[in-house]
Amino acid sequence: MPDQEPLLSVRGLRKEYVVHAIGRRVLALDDVDLEVSSGEHVVLIGPSGAGKSTLLRCVWRSCLPSSGEMLLCRADGQVVDLARLSDQEMSEVRDEDLGYVSQFLRSEPRRSVLDVVAKAARRGGMDGTEAVEASKTALSAARVAESLWDTYPVLLSGGEQQRVNLAAGTIRPPRLLLLDEPVSALDACNSEAVLSLVEGIAATGTVVFSIFHDMGVVRRLATRVVCIEEGRIVADGPPADVIARRGAA
Amino acid sequence: MRDWALRVENLSKWYGSVVACEDVSLEVGPGEALGIIGESGSGKSTVLRCVAGDVVASSGSVQVRDGAGAVCDLLELTPSQRRHLRVSALSILYQDPSEGLDLNITAGGNIAERLTAAGCRNFAALRSRARELLGRMDVDLGRMDDPVYSFSGGMRQRVQLAKAVANNPSVLLLDEPTTGLDASVAAGVLDLIRGVLEESRVTALVVSHDVSVVSILARRVIVMHQGRVVETGLTDQLLEDPQHPYSQQLVAASRG
Repeated sequence: MPDQEPLLSVRGLRKEYVVHAIGRRVLALDDVDLEVSSGEHVVLIGPSGAGKSTLLRCVWRSCLPSSGEMLLCRADGQVVDLARLSDQEMSEVRDEDLGYVSQFLRSEPRRSVLDVVAKAARRGGMDGTEAVEASKTALSAARVAESLWDTYPVLLSGGEQQRVNLAAGTIRPPRLLLLDEPVSALDACNSEAVLSLVEGIAATGTVVFSIFHDMGVVRRLATRVVCIEEGRIVADGPPADVIARRGAA
Repeated sequence: MRDWALRVENLSKWYGSVVACEDVSLEVGPGEALGIIGESGSGKSTVLRCVAGDVVASSGSVQVRDGAGAVCDLLELTPSQRRHLRVSALSILYQDPSEGLDLNITAGGNIAERLTAAGCRNFAALRSRARELLGRMDVDLGRMDDPVYSFSGGMRQRVQLAKAVANNPSVLLLDEPTTGLDASVAAGVLDLIRGVLEESRVTALVVSHDVSVVSILARRVIVMHQGRVVETGLTDQLLEDPQHPYSQQLVAASRG
Protein backbone atom coordinates (compact mmCIF):
# COMPACT_ATOMS: atom_id res chain seq x y z
CA MET A 1 0.00 0.00 0.00
CA PRO A 2 1.52 3.36 -1.02
CA ASP A 3 2.46 5.79 1.72
CA GLN A 4 -0.36 8.26 2.04
CA GLU A 5 -0.97 11.58 3.65
CA PRO A 6 -3.13 10.98 6.74
CA LEU A 7 -6.69 12.12 6.12
CA LEU A 8 -6.72 14.17 9.31
CA SER A 9 -3.67 15.41 11.15
CA VAL A 10 -4.22 17.22 14.45
CA ARG A 11 -1.11 19.00 15.76
CA GLY A 12 -0.63 20.81 19.05
CA LEU A 13 -4.37 21.31 19.46
CA ARG A 14 -5.30 23.33 22.48
CA LYS A 15 -8.78 24.43 23.55
CA GLU A 16 -9.47 26.67 26.51
CA TYR A 17 -13.05 27.65 27.19
CA VAL A 18 -13.34 31.16 28.59
CA VAL A 19 -16.51 32.41 30.26
CA HIS A 20 -16.06 36.15 30.56
CA ALA A 21 -18.98 36.91 32.83
CA ILE A 22 -17.53 34.86 35.67
CA GLY A 23 -13.87 35.12 34.69
CA ARG A 24 -13.50 31.39 34.41
CA ARG A 25 -11.16 29.41 32.14
CA VAL A 26 -11.27 25.69 31.56
CA LEU A 27 -8.52 23.94 29.63
CA ALA A 28 -10.32 21.20 27.73
CA LEU A 29 -7.59 20.06 25.34
CA ASP A 30 -3.87 20.42 25.93
CA ASP A 31 -1.36 19.87 23.12
CA VAL A 32 -3.20 17.07 21.34
CA ASP A 33 -1.39 15.36 18.43
CA LEU A 34 -3.29 12.76 16.49
CA GLU A 35 -3.53 11.34 12.98
CA VAL A 36 -6.40 9.50 11.38
CA SER A 37 -5.75 7.74 8.09
CA SER A 38 -7.56 6.01 5.29
CA GLY A 39 -9.02 2.66 6.33
CA GLU A 40 -9.11 3.52 10.02
CA HIS A 41 -11.86 3.68 12.59
CA VAL A 42 -10.31 5.53 15.51
CA VAL A 43 -12.29 5.45 18.74
CA LEU A 44 -11.71 7.94 21.53
CA ILE A 45 -12.16 6.65 25.06
CA GLY A 46 -11.66 8.27 28.43
CA PRO A 47 -13.56 9.53 31.45
CA SER A 48 -16.39 12.08 31.19
CA GLY A 49 -15.03 15.58 30.85
CA ALA A 50 -11.75 14.36 29.39
CA GLY A 51 -12.15 16.41 26.21
CA LYS A 52 -13.34 13.77 23.74
CA SER A 53 -16.43 15.64 22.54
CA THR A 54 -14.43 18.87 22.46
CA LEU A 55 -11.95 17.26 20.09
CA LEU A 56 -14.64 16.13 17.66
CA ARG A 57 -16.36 19.51 17.90
CA CYS A 58 -13.07 21.26 17.09
CA VAL A 59 -12.71 19.19 13.91
CA TRP A 60 -16.33 20.01 12.94
CA ARG A 61 -15.60 23.54 14.06
CA SER A 62 -18.67 23.97 16.18
CA CYS A 63 -16.00 24.81 18.73
CA LEU A 64 -13.02 27.09 17.98
CA PRO A 65 -9.56 25.74 18.84
CA SER A 66 -7.45 28.14 20.92
CA SER A 67 -4.29 27.09 19.04
CA GLY A 68 -2.89 24.28 16.97
CA GLU A 69 -3.67 22.82 13.55
CA MET A 70 -6.19 20.39 12.13
CA LEU A 71 -5.00 19.45 8.66
CA LEU A 72 -7.50 17.73 6.40
CA CYS A 73 -6.47 16.14 3.12
CA ARG A 74 -9.28 16.87 0.69
CA ALA A 75 -10.40 14.72 -2.24
CA ASP A 76 -8.28 16.68 -4.71
CA GLY A 77 -5.18 16.19 -2.57
CA GLN A 78 -5.17 19.73 -1.24
CA VAL A 79 -4.43 19.99 2.47
CA VAL A 80 -6.37 22.60 4.44
CA ASP A 81 -6.15 23.67 8.09
CA LEU A 82 -9.67 23.45 9.48
CA ALA A 83 -8.66 25.81 12.28
CA ARG A 84 -7.88 28.55 9.79
CA LEU A 85 -10.47 28.21 7.06
CA SER A 86 -12.95 31.02 6.56
CA ASP A 87 -16.50 30.26 7.68
CA GLN A 88 -17.61 29.89 4.05
CA GLU A 89 -14.78 27.47 3.27
CA MET A 90 -15.48 25.46 6.44
CA SER A 91 -19.13 25.27 5.45
CA GLU A 92 -18.10 23.76 2.09
CA VAL A 93 -15.76 21.27 3.74
CA ARG A 94 -18.59 20.17 6.04
CA ASP A 95 -20.92 19.67 3.09
CA GLU A 96 -18.39 17.89 0.89
CA ASP A 97 -16.07 15.92 3.15
CA LEU A 98 -17.37 15.60 6.68
CA GLY A 99 -20.24 14.11 8.60
CA TYR A 100 -21.03 14.73 12.26
CA VAL A 101 -23.52 13.07 14.57
CA SER A 102 -23.58 14.69 17.98
CA GLN A 103 -24.65 12.99 21.16
CA PHE A 104 -26.72 16.08 21.85
CA LEU A 105 -30.04 15.85 20.13
CA ARG A 106 -30.74 19.11 18.38
CA SER A 107 -33.37 19.36 15.70
CA GLU A 108 -34.57 22.26 13.66
CA PRO A 109 -38.12 23.00 14.75
CA ARG A 110 -41.04 22.24 12.46
CA ARG A 111 -39.13 20.31 9.84
CA SER A 112 -40.31 16.77 9.20
CA VAL A 113 -38.03 13.79 9.74
CA LEU A 114 -37.84 13.16 6.00
CA ASP A 115 -37.04 16.79 5.29
CA VAL A 116 -34.29 16.90 7.94
CA VAL A 117 -32.51 14.11 6.09
CA ALA A 118 -33.38 15.46 2.63
CA LYS A 119 -31.96 18.86 3.55
CA ALA A 120 -28.65 17.19 4.44
CA ALA A 121 -28.79 15.36 1.12
CA ARG A 122 -29.36 18.59 -0.80
CA ARG A 123 -26.48 20.24 1.06
CA GLY A 124 -24.37 17.34 -0.07
CA GLY A 125 -25.25 18.12 -3.69
CA MET A 126 -28.25 15.92 -4.48
CA ASP A 127 -31.17 17.45 -6.32
CA GLY A 128 -34.71 17.46 -4.93
CA THR A 129 -36.04 14.08 -6.07
CA GLU A 130 -32.78 12.24 -5.58
CA ALA A 131 -32.51 13.73 -2.08
CA VAL A 132 -35.95 12.50 -1.08
CA GLU A 133 -35.34 8.98 -2.37
CA ALA A 134 -31.92 8.74 -0.74
CA SER A 135 -33.44 9.98 2.52
CA LYS A 136 -36.07 7.25 2.52
CA THR A 137 -33.39 4.64 1.99
CA ALA A 138 -31.23 6.09 4.75
CA LEU A 139 -34.12 6.28 7.21
CA SER A 140 -35.09 2.68 6.48
CA ALA A 141 -31.51 1.57 7.00
CA ALA A 142 -31.50 3.41 10.33
CA ARG A 143 -34.74 1.59 11.22
CA VAL A 144 -36.83 4.74 11.52
CA ALA A 145 -40.39 3.63 10.88
CA GLU A 146 -42.02 5.06 7.76
CA SER A 147 -44.99 6.20 9.83
CA LEU A 148 -42.66 8.71 11.51
CA TRP A 149 -41.24 10.26 8.36
CA ASP A 150 -43.72 13.10 8.15
CA THR A 151 -43.64 13.99 11.85
CA TYR A 152 -41.42 16.49 13.62
CA PRO A 153 -38.35 15.04 15.38
CA VAL A 154 -39.42 16.67 18.63
CA LEU A 155 -42.24 14.12 18.83
CA LEU A 156 -39.83 11.19 18.59
CA SER A 157 -38.08 9.37 21.40
CA GLY A 158 -34.42 10.17 22.07
CA GLY A 159 -33.35 6.99 20.37
CA GLU A 160 -35.47 7.67 17.30
CA GLN A 161 -34.12 11.22 17.05
CA GLN A 162 -30.58 9.87 17.28
CA ARG A 163 -31.24 7.52 14.38
CA VAL A 164 -32.66 10.39 12.30
CA ASN A 165 -29.52 12.41 13.04
CA LEU A 166 -27.40 9.47 11.99
CA ALA A 167 -29.28 9.09 8.71
CA ALA A 168 -28.79 12.82 8.05
CA GLY A 169 -25.10 12.73 8.97
CA THR A 170 -24.34 9.80 6.67
CA ILE A 171 -26.71 10.48 3.79
CA ARG A 172 -23.89 11.24 1.44
CA PRO A 173 -21.09 8.99 2.72
CA PRO A 174 -18.52 11.49 3.99
CA ARG A 175 -14.76 11.06 3.71
CA LEU A 176 -14.48 11.56 7.47
CA LEU A 177 -17.36 10.72 9.79
CA LEU A 178 -17.36 12.11 13.33
CA LEU A 179 -19.61 10.18 15.71
CA ASP A 180 -20.17 11.25 19.29
CA GLU A 181 -21.77 8.38 21.22
CA PRO A 182 -24.29 7.56 18.49
CA VAL A 183 -25.84 4.61 20.34
CA SER A 184 -25.95 5.98 23.87
CA ALA A 185 -29.73 6.44 23.81
CA LEU A 186 -30.54 3.24 21.92
CA ASP A 187 -31.86 -0.12 23.06
CA ALA A 188 -29.94 -3.26 22.13
CA CYS A 189 -31.85 -3.94 18.93
CA ASN A 190 -31.57 -0.43 17.50
CA SER A 191 -28.03 -0.11 18.73
CA GLU A 192 -27.15 -3.22 16.70
CA ALA A 193 -28.74 -1.71 13.58
CA VAL A 194 -26.72 1.47 13.98
CA LEU A 195 -23.47 -0.34 14.64
CA SER A 196 -23.99 -2.43 11.50
CA LEU A 197 -24.65 0.77 9.58
CA VAL A 198 -21.40 2.26 10.88
CA GLU A 199 -19.49 -0.89 9.92
CA GLY A 200 -21.04 -0.72 6.46
CA ILE A 201 -20.07 2.92 5.99
CA ALA A 202 -16.53 2.24 7.11
CA ALA A 203 -16.32 -0.69 4.71
CA THR A 204 -17.10 1.58 1.76
CA GLY A 205 -14.15 3.82 2.54
CA THR A 206 -15.40 6.39 5.02
CA VAL A 207 -12.84 7.06 7.74
CA VAL A 208 -14.52 7.11 11.13
CA PHE A 209 -13.47 9.05 14.23
CA SER A 210 -15.78 8.26 17.08
CA ILE A 211 -16.53 8.21 20.80
CA PHE A 212 -18.04 5.18 22.49
CA HIS A 213 -18.26 4.19 26.14
CA ASP A 214 -19.06 0.51 25.75
CA MET A 215 -15.76 -1.41 25.50
CA GLY A 216 -17.48 -4.27 23.71
CA VAL A 217 -18.52 -1.88 20.95
CA VAL A 218 -15.05 -0.35 20.92
CA ARG A 219 -13.44 -3.76 20.44
CA ARG A 220 -15.86 -4.53 17.65
CA LEU A 221 -15.47 -1.32 15.64
CA ALA A 222 -12.08 0.19 16.33
CA THR A 223 -8.96 -0.32 14.27
CA ARG A 224 -7.20 1.94 16.78
CA VAL A 225 -8.07 3.37 20.19
CA VAL A 226 -6.96 6.70 21.64
CA CYS A 227 -7.43 7.39 25.33
CA ILE A 228 -7.82 10.99 26.51
CA GLU A 229 -7.64 12.06 30.14
CA GLU A 230 -7.81 15.66 31.36
CA GLY A 231 -7.34 17.02 27.85
CA ARG A 232 -4.24 14.99 27.00
CA ILE A 233 -3.70 11.83 25.02
CA VAL A 234 -2.43 9.16 27.38
CA ALA A 235 -2.56 6.15 25.07
CA ASP A 236 -2.82 5.57 21.32
CA GLY A 237 -2.63 2.13 19.76
CA PRO A 238 -4.26 -1.23 19.03
CA PRO A 239 -7.65 -1.64 20.73
CA ALA A 240 -6.69 -4.65 22.87
CA ASP A 241 -3.60 -2.89 24.24
CA VAL A 242 -5.19 0.44 25.03
CA ILE A 243 -8.33 -1.05 26.53
CA ALA A 244 -6.28 -3.38 28.70
CA ARG A 245 -4.29 -0.44 30.01
CA ARG A 246 -6.93 2.29 30.14
CA GLY A 247 -10.33 0.81 29.36
CA ALA A 248 -11.42 0.53 32.93
CA ALA A 249 -11.22 4.32 33.41
CA MET B 1 -14.51 35.32 -0.34
CA ARG B 2 -13.99 34.35 -3.95
CA ASP B 3 -17.67 34.06 -4.78
CA TRP B 4 -19.64 36.91 -3.19
CA ALA B 5 -22.99 38.32 -4.27
CA LEU B 6 -23.22 41.13 -1.71
CA ARG B 7 -20.23 42.90 -0.24
CA VAL B 8 -20.24 45.67 2.34
CA GLU B 9 -16.93 47.40 3.09
CA ASN B 10 -16.20 49.76 5.97
CA LEU B 11 -19.77 50.96 6.16
CA SER B 12 -20.32 53.77 8.63
CA LYS B 13 -23.29 55.93 9.51
CA TRP B 14 -23.31 58.71 12.00
CA TYR B 15 -25.93 61.25 12.95
CA GLY B 16 -23.93 64.24 14.15
CA SER B 17 -21.79 62.86 16.95
CA VAL B 18 -23.90 59.72 17.37
CA VAL B 19 -22.38 56.69 15.67
CA ALA B 20 -25.06 54.30 14.48
CA CYS B 21 -22.64 51.87 12.84
CA GLU B 22 -18.95 52.02 12.25
CA ASP B 23 -16.57 50.26 9.91
CA VAL B 24 -18.87 47.35 9.17
CA SER B 25 -17.67 44.89 6.56
CA LEU B 26 -19.34 41.68 5.46
CA GLU B 27 -19.76 39.41 2.45
CA VAL B 28 -22.61 37.12 1.49
CA GLY B 29 -22.22 34.38 -1.09
CA PRO B 30 -24.77 33.74 -3.85
CA GLY B 31 -27.75 31.88 -2.43
CA GLU B 32 -26.45 32.26 1.11
CA ALA B 33 -28.18 33.83 4.12
CA LEU B 34 -26.06 35.82 6.59
CA GLY B 35 -27.52 36.71 9.96
CA ILE B 36 -26.82 39.88 11.90
CA ILE B 37 -27.61 39.70 15.60
CA GLY B 38 -27.32 42.20 18.39
CA GLU B 39 -29.47 44.09 20.85
CA SER B 40 -31.56 47.15 20.02
CA GLY B 41 -29.21 49.98 19.20
CA SER B 42 -26.38 47.72 18.07
CA GLY B 43 -26.54 49.18 14.56
CA LYS B 44 -27.77 46.10 12.76
CA SER B 45 -30.88 47.71 11.29
CA THR B 46 -28.82 50.74 10.28
CA VAL B 47 -26.55 48.44 8.28
CA LEU B 48 -29.56 46.89 6.57
CA ARG B 49 -31.12 50.23 5.78
CA CYS B 50 -27.86 51.53 4.33
CA VAL B 51 -27.68 48.46 2.09
CA ALA B 52 -31.29 49.06 1.07
CA GLY B 53 -30.70 52.72 0.45
CA ASP B 54 -33.38 53.86 2.91
CA VAL B 55 -30.61 55.55 4.86
CA VAL B 56 -27.69 57.38 3.25
CA ALA B 57 -24.43 55.92 4.51
CA SER B 58 -21.81 58.35 5.79
CA SER B 59 -18.95 56.33 4.30
CA GLY B 60 -18.05 52.93 2.92
CA SER B 61 -19.34 50.87 0.03
CA VAL B 62 -22.07 48.37 -0.74
CA GLN B 63 -21.70 46.23 -3.85
CA VAL B 64 -23.80 43.53 -5.47
CA ARG B 65 -22.47 41.17 -8.07
CA ASP B 66 -24.69 39.29 -10.47
CA GLY B 67 -24.28 35.83 -11.96
CA ALA B 68 -22.38 37.25 -14.93
CA GLY B 69 -19.89 38.95 -12.63
CA ALA B 70 -21.08 42.52 -13.17
CA VAL B 71 -20.59 44.62 -10.05
CA CYS B 72 -22.89 47.44 -9.05
CA ASP B 73 -22.01 49.91 -6.30
CA LEU B 74 -25.31 50.64 -4.59
CA LEU B 75 -24.18 53.82 -2.92
CA GLU B 76 -23.26 55.34 -6.28
CA LEU B 77 -26.71 54.90 -7.83
CA THR B 78 -28.94 57.79 -8.82
CA PRO B 79 -32.36 57.83 -7.12
CA SER B 80 -34.00 56.57 -10.28
CA GLN B 81 -31.49 53.74 -10.67
CA ARG B 82 -32.08 52.82 -7.05
CA ARG B 83 -35.86 52.76 -7.52
CA HIS B 84 -35.37 50.43 -10.46
CA LEU B 85 -33.12 48.18 -8.38
CA ARG B 86 -35.72 48.04 -5.62
CA VAL B 87 -38.39 46.67 -7.92
CA SER B 88 -36.19 44.33 -9.87
CA ALA B 89 -33.29 42.93 -7.91
CA LEU B 90 -33.31 43.93 -4.26
CA SER B 91 -36.24 43.59 -1.87
CA ILE B 92 -36.75 44.30 1.78
CA LEU B 93 -39.08 42.74 4.28
CA TYR B 94 -39.63 45.33 7.01
CA GLN B 95 -40.44 44.54 10.62
CA ASP B 96 -43.53 46.72 10.26
CA PRO B 97 -45.49 45.53 7.23
CA SER B 98 -46.96 49.00 6.75
CA GLU B 99 -43.51 50.18 5.64
CA GLY B 100 -43.47 47.70 2.78
CA LEU B 101 -47.15 47.78 1.86
CA ASP B 102 -49.82 50.32 1.01
CA LEU B 103 -52.42 49.47 3.64
CA ASN B 104 -55.15 51.22 1.70
CA ILE B 105 -55.00 48.99 -1.32
CA THR B 106 -55.80 45.31 -1.62
CA ALA B 107 -53.44 42.39 -1.05
CA GLY B 108 -53.59 41.57 -4.75
CA GLY B 109 -53.14 45.22 -5.59
CA ASN B 110 -49.96 45.50 -3.52
CA ILE B 111 -48.40 42.65 -5.42
CA ALA B 112 -49.62 43.93 -8.76
CA GLU B 113 -48.06 47.29 -7.96
CA ARG B 114 -44.66 45.64 -7.55
CA LEU B 115 -45.05 43.61 -10.75
CA THR B 116 -46.28 46.62 -12.73
CA ALA B 117 -43.37 48.73 -11.57
CA ALA B 118 -41.08 46.07 -13.02
CA GLY B 119 -42.86 46.22 -16.35
CA CYS B 120 -45.66 43.66 -16.30
CA ARG B 121 -48.84 45.10 -17.81
CA ASN B 122 -51.00 42.12 -18.58
CA PHE B 123 -53.89 42.09 -16.10
CA ALA B 124 -54.47 38.37 -16.28
CA ALA B 125 -50.81 37.62 -15.70
CA LEU B 126 -50.70 40.04 -12.77
CA ARG B 127 -53.74 38.45 -11.21
CA SER B 128 -52.49 34.94 -11.68
CA ARG B 129 -49.07 35.68 -10.29
CA ALA B 130 -50.60 37.48 -7.29
CA ARG B 131 -52.80 34.48 -6.58
CA GLU B 132 -49.85 32.14 -6.84
CA LEU B 133 -47.74 34.20 -4.45
CA LEU B 134 -50.47 34.83 -1.89
CA GLY B 135 -51.39 31.16 -1.97
CA ARG B 136 -47.78 30.22 -1.46
CA MET B 137 -47.70 32.47 1.62
CA ASP B 138 -50.86 30.90 3.05
CA VAL B 139 -52.95 34.03 2.63
CA ASP B 140 -56.63 33.25 2.23
CA LEU B 141 -57.26 33.87 -1.49
CA GLY B 142 -60.81 34.85 -0.68
CA ARG B 143 -59.34 38.00 0.87
CA MET B 144 -57.15 38.89 -2.09
CA ASP B 145 -59.35 41.88 -2.88
CA ASP B 146 -59.61 43.15 0.69
CA PRO B 147 -57.60 46.20 1.70
CA VAL B 148 -54.54 45.27 3.72
CA TYR B 149 -55.52 47.52 6.67
CA SER B 150 -58.18 44.91 7.41
CA PHE B 151 -55.58 42.15 7.85
CA SER B 152 -54.00 40.97 11.09
CA GLY B 153 -50.29 41.58 11.70
CA GLY B 154 -49.34 38.06 10.71
CA MET B 155 -51.34 38.19 7.50
CA ARG B 156 -49.90 41.60 6.63
CA GLN B 157 -46.43 40.15 7.02
CA ARG B 158 -47.30 37.30 4.67
CA VAL B 159 -48.58 39.76 2.07
CA GLN B 160 -45.38 41.76 2.47
CA LEU B 161 -43.34 38.60 1.95
CA ALA B 162 -45.35 37.73 -1.17
CA LYS B 163 -44.76 41.23 -2.52
CA ALA B 164 -41.05 41.13 -1.65
CA VAL B 165 -40.45 37.97 -3.69
CA ALA B 166 -42.86 38.82 -6.52
CA ASN B 167 -40.09 39.79 -8.91
CA ASN B 168 -37.69 37.04 -7.92
CA PRO B 169 -35.13 39.42 -6.44
CA SER B 170 -31.53 38.32 -6.27
CA VAL B 171 -31.04 39.98 -2.87
CA LEU B 172 -33.53 39.88 0.00
CA LEU B 173 -33.05 41.95 3.14
CA LEU B 174 -35.05 40.95 6.22
CA ASP B 175 -35.30 43.42 9.08
CA GLU B 176 -36.60 41.74 12.23
CA PRO B 177 -39.07 39.72 10.12
CA THR B 178 -40.99 38.18 13.00
CA THR B 179 -40.47 40.68 15.82
CA GLY B 180 -43.82 41.90 17.10
CA LEU B 181 -45.71 38.83 15.93
CA ASP B 182 -46.92 36.46 18.55
CA ALA B 183 -45.12 33.16 18.84
CA SER B 184 -47.22 30.78 16.79
CA VAL B 185 -47.80 33.38 14.08
CA ALA B 186 -44.08 34.16 14.04
CA ALA B 187 -43.28 30.48 13.61
CA GLY B 188 -45.49 30.25 10.54
CA VAL B 189 -43.91 33.32 8.95
CA LEU B 190 -40.44 32.07 9.79
CA ASP B 191 -41.13 28.73 8.14
CA LEU B 192 -42.33 30.51 4.99
CA ILE B 193 -39.19 32.62 4.90
CA ARG B 194 -37.08 29.51 5.43
CA GLY B 195 -38.84 27.88 2.47
CA VAL B 196 -38.35 30.94 0.27
CA LEU B 197 -34.63 31.13 1.09
CA GLU B 198 -34.09 27.44 0.38
CA GLU B 199 -36.10 27.21 -2.82
CA SER B 200 -35.19 30.44 -4.51
CA ARG B 201 -31.48 30.57 -3.70
CA VAL B 202 -31.82 34.29 -3.10
CA THR B 203 -28.91 36.02 -1.32
CA ALA B 204 -30.16 37.21 2.04
CA LEU B 205 -29.27 39.36 5.03
CA VAL B 206 -31.34 38.58 8.10
CA VAL B 207 -31.31 41.06 10.95
CA SER B 208 -32.80 40.01 14.27
CA HIS B 209 -32.25 40.48 17.98
CA ASP B 210 -33.78 37.01 18.30
CA VAL B 211 -30.97 34.50 18.04
CA SER B 212 -33.35 31.63 17.31
CA VAL B 213 -34.63 33.37 14.14
CA VAL B 214 -31.13 33.70 12.80
CA SER B 215 -30.24 30.14 13.78
CA ILE B 216 -33.12 28.84 11.66
CA LEU B 217 -32.48 31.02 8.63
CA ALA B 218 -28.74 31.64 8.45
CA ARG B 219 -25.73 29.39 8.37
CA ARG B 220 -23.33 32.21 9.21
CA VAL B 221 -23.81 35.08 11.54
CA ILE B 222 -22.19 38.35 12.60
CA VAL B 223 -22.64 39.89 16.03
CA MET B 224 -22.93 43.65 16.38
CA HIS B 225 -22.52 45.68 19.53
CA GLN B 226 -22.47 49.45 19.87
CA GLY B 227 -22.27 49.94 16.13
CA ARG B 228 -19.39 47.56 15.46
CA VAL B 229 -18.97 43.96 14.39
CA VAL B 230 -17.56 42.10 17.40
CA GLU B 231 -17.63 38.52 16.18
CA THR B 232 -18.44 36.40 13.14
CA GLY B 233 -18.82 32.65 12.75
CA LEU B 234 -20.80 29.68 11.62
CA THR B 235 -24.12 29.90 13.44
CA ASP B 236 -23.78 26.62 15.32
CA GLN B 237 -20.27 27.56 16.44
CA LEU B 238 -21.41 30.97 17.65
CA LEU B 239 -24.21 29.40 19.65
CA GLU B 240 -22.07 26.64 21.14
CA ASP B 241 -18.78 28.46 21.61
CA PRO B 242 -19.16 32.25 21.50
CA GLN B 243 -15.84 34.03 22.06
CA HIS B 244 -16.51 37.73 22.60
CA PRO B 245 -17.91 38.73 26.00
CA TYR B 246 -20.92 40.42 24.38
CA SER B 247 -21.65 37.40 22.17
CA GLN B 248 -21.55 35.20 25.25
CA GLN B 249 -24.07 37.47 26.98
CA LEU B 250 -26.35 37.43 23.96
CA VAL B 251 -26.25 33.66 23.56
CA ALA B 252 -26.66 33.00 27.29
CA ALA B 253 -29.68 35.31 27.39
CA SER B 254 -31.28 33.53 24.44
CA ARG B 255 -31.17 30.26 26.33
CA GLY B 256 -33.04 31.70 29.32
